[in-house]
Amino acid sequence: MSDLVSNLGLGFSIALSLQNLALCFLGCLVGTLIGVLPGVGPIATIAMLLPITFGLDPVGALIMLAGIYYGAQYGGSTTAILVNIPGEATSVITTLDGHQMARQGRAGIALGIAAIGSFCAGTVATMLIAAIGAPLTRLALVFGPAEYFALMVMGLVFAVVLARGSILKAVAMILVGILLATVGTDLETGQERLTFGFAFLTDGIDFSVLAMGLFGIAEILRNLDHTETRDVVRQHIGRLLPGREDLRQAAGPILRGTAIGSMLGILPGNGAVLGPFAAYTVEKRIARDPSRFGRGAIEGVAGPESANNAGAQTSFIPLLTLGIPPNAVMALMVGAMTIHGIVPGPGVMTKNPNLFWGMIASMWLGNLMLLVINLPLVGVWVRLLKVPYRLMFPAILMFCAIGIYSINALPTDVMLIGVFGLIGYVLIKFGFEPAPLLLGFVLGKLMEEYLRRALTLSRGDAMVFLERPICAGLFAISIIMLVAALMPSLRRSRDDVFSEA
Amino acid sequence: MVDGMPGRRALVRRRGFLGLTLAGACLAALPFTAGAARAQATFPTRPITLIVPFAAGGSTDVVARLVAQKMSESLGQQVVVENVVGAGGNVGASRVAKADPDGYAILMGTVATHALNPLILKRKPYDPIADFAPVSLLAVVPNVLVVNPNLSAKTVPELIALLKAEPGKYNYASSGNGTPLHLSGELFKSMAGVQMQHIPYRGAGPALNDVVAGQVPIMFDNLPSSSEFIRAGTLRGVAVTTKERAPSFPDMPTIAEAGLPGYETYTWNALFAPAKTPRPVIDALNAAALKALKDPTVIERMQAFSATIVGSSPETLADHVKAEAAKWAPVVKEAGVQTE
Repeated sequence: MSDLVSNLGLGFSIALSLQNLALCFLGCLVGTLIGVLPGVGPIATIAMLLPITFGLDPVGALIMLAGIYYGAQYGGSTTAILVNIPGEATSVITTLDGHQMARQGRAGIALGIAAIGSFCAGTVATMLIAAIGAPLTRLALVFGPAEYFALMVMGLVFAVVLARGSILKAVAMILVGILLATVGTDLETGQERLTFGFAFLTDGIDFSVLAMGLFGIAEILRNLDHTETRDVVRQHIGRLLPGREDLRQAAGPILRGTAIGSMLGILPGNGAVLGPFAAYTVEKRIARDPSRFGRGAIEGVAGPESANNAGAQTSFIPLLTLGIPPNAVMALMVGAMTIHGIVPGPGVMTKNPNLFWGMIASMWLGNLMLLVINLPLVGVWVRLLKVPYRLMFPAILMFCAIGIYSINALPTDVMLIGVFGLIGYVLIKFGFEPAPLLLGFVLGKLMEEYLRRALTLSRGDAMVFLERPICAGLFAISIIMLVAALMPSLRRSRDDVFSEA
Repeated sequence: MVDGMPGRRALVRRRGFLGLTLAGACLAALPFTAGAARAQATFPTRPITLIVPFAAGGSTDVVARLVAQKMSESLGQQVVVENVVGAGGNVGASRVAKADPDGYAILMGTVATHALNPLILKRKPYDPIADFAPVSLLAVVPNVLVVNPNLSAKTVPELIALLKAEPGKYNYASSGNGTPLHLSGELFKSMAGVQMQHIPYRGAGPALNDVVAGQVPIMFDNLPSSSEFIRAGTLRGVAVTTKERAPSFPDMPTIAEAGLPGYETYTWNALFAPAKTPRPVIDALNAAALKALKDPTVIERMQAFSATIVGSSPETLADHVKAEAAKWAPVVKEAGVQTE
């Protein structure tokens, strides 16, 4: 315990230096801004800002880059709530209830609760990293391909539970998502699949392209379809910040979301992606009235947003303690460390205690700064909704096009968001939810990879999934959840099969 | 250098004019003055784009950024690193192959873009020899054979004996299908006459995780990404793949000296301009690159990173590309990794 205090003391003495405070603030500010812009993500930003960190000391540089990363996670939820565009896989869930809240004139409350939830999650997650980060890495090593596969299957069950309407339609959407995920070059054999000879499909479909089309563009088309709902948003904005009742309702989801997000964030195999989905599922399951979800339930914003931010923080654990980056952004951080002469690996924590503890302390300070940056901005964002939609939608469209082009500089990507936008519009019209499709897409790629790897390792023996205790346990949970989700609808469907819209 | 030699499919794809403009704006604010003295030179008169065909943060990217920074200082114009990722490096390489031959778009080529990919792909997007003007072979990065510390084999002969005792039982990991590391493993298999199942990953990071955890016992990696794991003892470094021992690990034998004479693989990074680039431009780029490689910071960082600085002439690089193609052709054929 005294170790922890002295380590944190060291960390804060580094993070609180004027230069590092300024860098942390700069990182958070830049991160928030690029998070808000659709398409422009932390990867692009960090890569382009790498050269200007050359002149800084490594600790300051990494503090700033880390600030951009979790700042972007923060900013991403703003776009998800206001204009229904998820910037990253982790903010897909926020669009469900967050955007509904915005449509009901509760945008300020949604944004406020997202900020507060993220701050609480960030605080808890930072303490978690400081206190038990190192022992927790053992968890990362227990998870092999079979366990990850089981985890991803569990994720798909979440997708079923997510569905607002027909379960059959949700399953169909998940399968389409998985199918889309197989487009591109096969990892195992290097052969192209479903590319139809188009060069721009050889690396698969970019998540941002799919998400921006199905959500952002489709939403614009839908709004242009019936403008009157938009007028409702404009006429009454409601209160700006969450009141006592909102906070009381959100407290539980924030805590549960933080716990779930922190756990999944530790897993280096992209576990953080599942955090918000898992948090949402839990909230919907334990809610007294699950039908409120998808119609602007505050728990549906608070839980996933907390999980999202907690995961963003704890995903630094595998990087800092094992030297293994759990996602593309962390891989970039590894490169940044290398350029600054720190070779990442399991020794970073003991060899560079200044870096390790300085970064951890800066994360907490960064979360505080994000709260300070974001709460006053809520008013600005909400006022944006008052802009007449005929002026707003071309602007959103333009930002989407610029943002998506900035990722890969491929004109085909811009065309693809148009195509997916049309598809998304048709899906909405027929009552299909895009969220399960997106989850299927994200998990499909990982699932296939882990399934094939697990089976190659076991030489094709499927018993490997039952012999490993964690893996079998995860499968058991999935089955229980699936049965629990299907039971009511099965019973209902016997009564009136066609009543669901 | 997580994804050491990023796989045929890259995790991250990025680049963009937004990036460029912003990076340019940021860079302009930095105090670069060294180039003022060369103002009378005709090349370069505007910023140069150095295309890195792999993800930002990978080993090629790290080498590129270290060198680009110093080249900017001596050329008096910014050398802006741009990551053009996709199809295992082919997208970025094709872009430079088709660029104007004026030296303002140059490529950080590797063993993947200039030796392996052209051999692996039946539908070739560019010709590694005819479409490029070599500038300089910058650095050589050793690969390494690492195993989980719980594996009984501690040396190359012990490992070969183990693999021969139970053929087909053991797996080895690499950063992806058709990468230099995968083919290093295939070359090992064919030279030692052993069987191992290849397990491809998306980059070195996830592969390292599974080898450290013991899911897969053996891995071919590039030395920079494994080095700290070897030092920490979470991986056992069995041997390096180069002809000579790596200066950063003088105690680790080479595979050639430990039982497979003639075995040699490594990853290399070299600068290429488009074919038909005028000779004075090539010479200016070559001089700037060689100067950058003599910079103490660059030397120190490259050493920490286990890379060996070469700094060759354009002619040496041209010969090198031909030699590498000749060396890998039979390995690629035997490994059966050719694709449409």
